[in-house]
Amino acid sequence: MSASERPGKGLSRLLTLAILIAVFALAPAALYLAGRSYLYQVANLIMIFALLSASMHLVTGVAGLLQLGHAAFYGVGAYTAALLATRFGLPFPATMPLAGLAAALVAFLVALPTMRLVSIYFAVATLGIGQMLYLIMLNWVDVTKGPNGILLFNALRIFNFDASKPAIAYYVVAVVTVVSILVIHRLSHSYYGNALRALREDDQCAEAMGVETVRLKIQSFTISGFFAGVAGALWAHTAGYVSPADFSFTVSILILSMVVLGGLGSLPGAIVGAVILIGLPELLREFKAGDYRNLIIGLVLFSVILFLPRGLIGEASALDLMRRQFAGAWRRAPDRRGGMGWR
Amino acid sequence: MHTRRSLVILAGALALAAPAFAQQPTYRIGYQLPLTGNTAQYGQDFKNAAEIALERFGKAGKPFKVEIVFEDSRSDAKEGVAIARKFVDDKTIVGVLGDFTSGVSMAAAQVYKDAGMPQLSQTASHPDFVKISKWQFRNITTQAQEGPLNADWMWSQGYRKVAVIAEQSDWGQTVVSYFVDAFKAKGGQVTVSEMFNRGLADFRPIITKIARERPDAIYTGFFYEDGAQFLKQMKQLGATIPVHSTSAAYNQQLIALAGADADGMKLTATFLPNNPAANVQEFVSAWKARTNQEPGQFPAQAYDAVNIMLAALERAHPNVTRESLRDQLAATKEFPGVTGATTFDANREPAKQLMRAQVKGGVFAPIAN
Amino acid sequence: MDYYLQQLVIGLSLGMVYALVAIGFTLIFGVLNVVNFAHGEVYTIGAYAGLFVVAAWAPPLAALLLAVLAVGALTGVGLERLAFRPFRRFTDEASLKSRAMREATLMSSLALSIIAREAIELIYGSQFQTVPLKLLLNEPIRLGPVTIVNGDVIIFVTALAMLLALQFVLTRTRVGLSIRAVSNNALGARYVGVDVDRTIAWTFVVGSAMGAVAGILVGLYYGAIFPSMGFNPGVKAFVAMVMGGLSSIPGAVICALIIGVAEALSTIFVASVWQELVAYAFLIVTLIFFPRGIFGGARERV
Repeated sequence: MSASERPGKGLSRLLTLAILIAVFALAPAALYLAGRSYLYQVANLIMIFALLSASMHLVTGVAGLLQLGHAAFYGVGAYTAALLATRFGLPFPATMPLAGLAAALVAFLVALPTMRLVSIYFAVATLGIGQMLYLIMLNWVDVTKGPNGILLFNALRIFNFDASKPAIAYYVVAVVTVVSILVIHRLSHSYYGNALRALREDDQCAEAMGVETVRLKIQSFTISGFFAGVAGALWAHTAGYVSPADFSFTVSILILSMVVLGGLGSLPGAIVGAVILIGLPELLREFKAGDYRNLIIGLVLFSVILFLPRGLIGEASALDLMRRQFAGAWRRAPDRRGGMGWR
Repeated sequence: MHTRRSLVILAGALALAAPAFAQQPTYRIGYQLPLTGNTAQYGQDFKNAAEIALERFGKAGKPFKVEIVFEDSRSDAKEGVAIARKFVDDKTIVGVLGDFTSGVSMAAAQVYKDAGMPQLSQTASHPDFVKISKWQFRNITTQAQEGPLNADWMWSQGYRKVAVIAEQSDWGQTVVSYFVDAFKAKGGQVTVSEMFNRGLADFRPIITKIARERPDAIYTGFFYEDGAQFLKQMKQLGATIPVHSTSAAYNQQLIALAGADADGMKLTATFLPNNPAANVQEFVSAWKARTNQEPGQFPAQAYDAVNIMLAALERAHPNVTRESLRDQLAATKEFPGVTGATTFDANREPAKQLMRAQVKGGVFAPIAN
Repeated sequence: MDYYLQQLVIGLSLGMVYALVAIGFTLIFGVLNVVNFAHGEVYTIGAYAGLFVVAAWAPPLAALLLAVLAVGALTGVGLERLAFRPFRRFTDEASLKSRAMREATLMSSLALSIIAREAIELIYGSQFQTVPLKLLLNEPIRLGPVTIVNGDVIIFVTALAMLLALQFVLTRTRVGLSIRAVSNNALGARYVGVDVDRTIAWTFVVGSAMGAVAGILVGLYYGAIFPSMGFNPGVKAFVAMVMGGLSSIPGAVICALIIGVAEALSTIFVASVWQELVAYAFLIVTLIFFPRGIFGGARERV
């Protein structure tokens, strides 16, 4: 499944190049010509959510662990960045990796006990933990300032250089996002990624083949948390304001919808999903159909699940997956793993 | 965009060339507010209020026209910032109203600060909101004013032991802190101080906890929906402790939802629909014609905010820029609004006269000072 | 002492509210073993339908409940048709039981719940609906040192009736037998002549009708009917179901009571903003330490 095995290797190189040119030259040029900082804002938001969607793709799409609390790690990253910037005056290049590490640490601690759970029970556990983290952000007023949120003055500072002008901020976000997505791409298209895919297809079988399933799951969850944290830092520094409402359950669902819309297991799909689900509402706003935005998101999600089970560019169709699972599906989980029965 | 801009230029040129055929210039104001989502009911109220104000303005025969562009922020900071960028980009927009919550208003304020766009919120009560830059204004009394006033009032009624409960929001935090500071400074005692998450279904555990301490009275910071729940459940549990609240609870819907259980609640307000002043009655009848209800505190604040903006536009006319509009807003003095006379101080905070009211037989009845 | 007693009683009445929601939820999710995230919206639809009926002609409570029951049943049919039946295109064992299938229905029911909630909000707005005050179920009843309301009694009786009826149906009748057969082994059930589609549809009808009745009862109990009212009770019902061992309706009811009492008692010790954390903490602790529910029954499947 890795990129180098595909016949269209040259084509995919070309495509990567085209995307890079589009992100670093064409899009900024178009934005510059349009001269509207609003469009920069939309572009930044799309890139931040593309990164979130890509990071969730690693866990949900590649490793097949349904996640319902991703926004919480995004929030941990955003709060870490905001607190470091306001309390200790750290600049963006320092807060960003630290935000990623903090989110990764939380993800790791969450993963340790929950990784034994399978399927829907893992999903529900992440929902519960996501809500708990959200409630902590909301109610631990002494640290997070609770519902007041944290305001960052001259937010995007790279050492002594003020990068908060829309055009420069765009490049900062673009560089961080593209580099992160490249890393995720390398991870998911390597032997490591294939091992994760093996988990998704049949983790008992993978374990029998000598794949250390629990360790792999924990690792992928932690890495995913890291990139969600980086996305959080990007949001904190470009928006200049973080508050708990931006990291609620609905945001987790939004990110999940992006991954599903694009197609489980497909990185380009995850990115396309982010572009559509952030871009479409803004487009609807232009056409004064703003009231129907969420309704339309629901309808899009529903139709995709029903009519395009592979998503737009997916590699793992829900239906294919269950056919392949024929053998594994009705064997009881061995008790020593503490798994929860059928999978 | 370009065609519109050139049209405006064209119109301007025509106005200069031939005064006889002069077209009235049109100024555009942006209004960001939640029209969908969990707080949509407030945004819809603001929109109604703004349209009433605009209609009235249109009939007054002014030498220019005003258009308000409404954008839905869903009370979501992401959306608020995107809208702010949009308004800033639109060179025909000279001023902005909104947003509803302090959080979204403050996120958007970052954009307005950098771009130099006057922003007047009808409800953002966060202490830091107007501190962001010289471009932020608000038309709401903050808890810095309301808290100490309520503390005085409750103290003067002989209450010495008070419980405080407020919603877990930026606003709720200020309700508690300003009141508690003022009340303790008088030597009063605060027995229980609790926060709750907005939309909490069951207040009974909190009420029981409060009742156990036997306070003389309860000071509350809630909006009408939570308020109605709280009052109903107080009555249910047979807790007969007097309740005081802030102007945010002042909404006819509170009585519609809680019925007789709301009787006896005392609160401060800057607007009362039974105020006989002509401008108040004009607004109340226009509001009733539109919504079949009595206006509450927030629509009145929005109505005044829009009118303050329009008055500033009128003073700035014909040289209306974002800069000149800001200066004229800052120069607002003794503006005769339905929420009392409004003057912006040096920090762009409004000083308003707070009135006292009590719920009696299903209406908010004013109490003489 | 009276204070703790009153908090305990409040906790029990909170728990009864959760239990009422948890019964229908557990029937579909736990007993039938179909992942359904739209139950909270069925609950909301029940409340709005009840309000609509009340506004049209004010019937007595019993007639109102019957009308809502009917609406809930119809909603259940629609929900099953739209979000679940399309995924039963394949009838082999793997398809009926597989993880991917369950995740697909999770997503489809989630999508439908978003659509339903947004549609309600577009039609009615997001504010609390005004409920006629005389219909509210909050007439206080004083029992010595503690106070309950008439709604507590009505909810208790309804929940008890639902519980007993369901237990009877599930354990003593052919319908119950076929429900349990389908959940245990859908293919096997088909082979021995059970109409799987019909059984699933009927379970949805019953479960959703109960969800809708819970919605209007709790709506009248609190006087709070608004578009997102289903989320919190839905979560609590879910936690109760997981704690109770998934397929056990009595277990879910008992755990719902435990959650309610724990929430009310938590306000004694900590600030009430942390009350919401209680249910999630129970969920995590249960999943990690008692994956088979706190009663630890010898359950064979999930």
